[in-house]
Amino acid sequence: MPESTARAGLWRAVQRWRGVAIIGTMAAVTLWLAYSGQLVLYIHPRYILFTVIMAGIAVVLSLLAVAGRRDHDDEHGAPPPRRERMLALTAAGIAGVFTLGMVVLPPATLSTATAQQREVNATASDDAAALASATTADAATVATFTVREWSAILRQTSDLAFYADRPATDLLGFVVPDDDDPENLFYVSRFSVTCCAVDAQPLGVPVYLPGWQQQYPADTWVVISGSFTSNPSRQSTEPIVLVPDTLEVVEQPREPYLF
Amino acid sequence: MTQTPADAAARTGDHAAGGNEHEGHSHEGPRRARVVHVVWLVAAVAVLIGIVVVREWTAQNLDAGIPDALQDLLTLSTSVLVESLPFIVLGIALSILVQVWIPEHWLLRILPRNPWGRRAVISLFGMFLPVCECGNVPLARGLVRRGFTVPESMVFLIAAPILNPITIITTHQAFGFDDGILVARLLGGFAIANILGWLFSKHPEPMSLLSGRFAEQCRLDDGHGHSRSRREASLDLFVRESSILMPALVIGALAAGAIQVVVPRDVLVALGSDPLFSVLVMMLLAFIISVCANVDAFFILPFASTFLPGSIVAFLVFGPIVDIKMLALMRTTYSTRTLVQLTTIVALLSLTLGLVVNYLA
Repeated sequence: MPESTARAGLWRAVQRWRGVAIIGTMAAVTLWLAYSGQLVLYIHPRYILFTVIMAGIAVVLSLLAVAGRRDHDDEHGAPPPRRERMLALTAAGIAGVFTLGMVVLPPATLSTATAQQREVNATASDDAAALASATTADAATVATFTVREWSAILRQTSDLAFYADRPATDLLGFVVPDDDDPENLFYVSRFSVTCCAVDAQPLGVPVYLPGWQQQYPADTWVVISGSFTSNPSRQSTEPIVLVPDTLEVVEQPREPYLF
Repeated sequence: MTQTPADAAARTGDHAAGGNEHEGHSHEGPRRARVVHVVWLVAAVAVLIGIVVVREWTAQNLDAGIPDALQDLLTLSTSVLVESLPFIVLGIALSILVQVWIPEHWLLRILPRNPWGRRAVISLFGMFLPVCECGNVPLARGLVRRGFTVPESMVFLIAAPILNPITIITTHQAFGFDDGILVARLLGGFAIANILGWLFSKHPEPMSLLSGRFAEQCRLDDGHGHSRSRREASLDLFVRESSILMPALVIGALAAGAIQVVVPRDVLVALGSDPLFSVLVMMLLAFIISVCANVDAFFILPFASTFLPGSIVAFLVFGPIVDIKMLALMRTTYSTRTLVQLTTIVALLSLTLGLVVNYLA
């Protein structure tokens, strides 16, 4: 019957070529991500070289495989039962749609949704060391502190005298609303990545600015300069907050994560 | 005896045959055959360029407007994929090397006769084949087709991602020798792999441990001796392995991404300081996260201050063997029943190891 022959033909074609299509496409997208500097949205920079080399190999092998031999041993056997075929086709379909998504959807960083779900400042490794080095650092060094250093210091000490002559300068991050007092407080946050976006830990410095939501919706990237004082908010448990002197909306940086 | 097509090809010395005789089915001349190859190559290159052009265009002109949670799911899944992809490619490449280019007797000659010794040596193969666990699945399949027993392929699959130069270096970079984490990981991985291999070697019918499809492929290999060049055999293996592994990898990555968007992280972290619960939670985290063994030490480093060392060891031993992505990948090779048994045994052994480290350290 011609119909079932055609169906068996489709089954064999999908069965044989789905992997090459997926791996070749993904490798090409990976190379494009590396070329456009956006691979850092997904993995730590130390893996870029290895990833690019292997993606290059995958692209070459895919091209050679398509150009190569066109008749195959596995095409002579009878196709498996219908149920098994449907399952395999569904899996290939999902994988195919996802691969297509990697081609058409713009690359993106993680958003506030994940920052809130993972809870800002839930884990950290080197708090004490950060405080120790901050105590001896000169003004120029303090001015270079990022969200990582400040969030570590804030967890270590709530001594106002420590913060008196140590203002935050040009602190870059995106806006995440505070859970306890969303009216007055937000976090200026960055994701810290040690391996890939999967392990991104949200770090943040609490900022006190009543009515901030009117001007700066969640996920907006901002640069803040200001000084630290005790927290005027009653609902929030943060002892020390940053009160901005200047707050500027900026574009998302090319490397949004801290490595 | 198992005999792969590649062996037959190697024996007949068929290297340069290239595109000539395999078009024999269609009764066309060699020139015509070469034209067909070139046309397909040009078409493939055109498609590839098309993909890059579309990618570039959509990146600049398309605003997806996807809700945050869904967007994060895609970003996380893509991250798992981009992180595993190079290891999958490396794994397939090494699998091709083992199956097509290395003569069979090389691998079998270095193995001791005694089964315990054999498994012990197999569990050290990872030192020469530095691939993470997802890349090991094609390699383990290659070993079975090369005549290794099914339990031996499991020993390799479990031990190799841990007893592996890259993993040892990254774990050492992350933890040094603190709290015996590195030593416990290496010894624990070795012990679990060998215990599991011994248990499964008691199985009366080892071939029934395999998934139906893979077992059938292994049988097919036996009969087929028809000649191909090594180049063709390599490309054919690349096509077949990627076609089996890539859909599984994508689905595993999607599941891992989805669970991370749904399960709040603070629920996990709250349990971190209890000797028993910290171990269970870390194993659960390893199961969900699905990152490769070569890089997971960096992943877990930020948790080291909140979690007990035993739980970190359990994460580092359990994660490389069993996680969502790995189950999807291993299902291509082993039966569901086998995987349930494997998961249970490995979970119990990792739990024991974690508890021992917690009470000793």
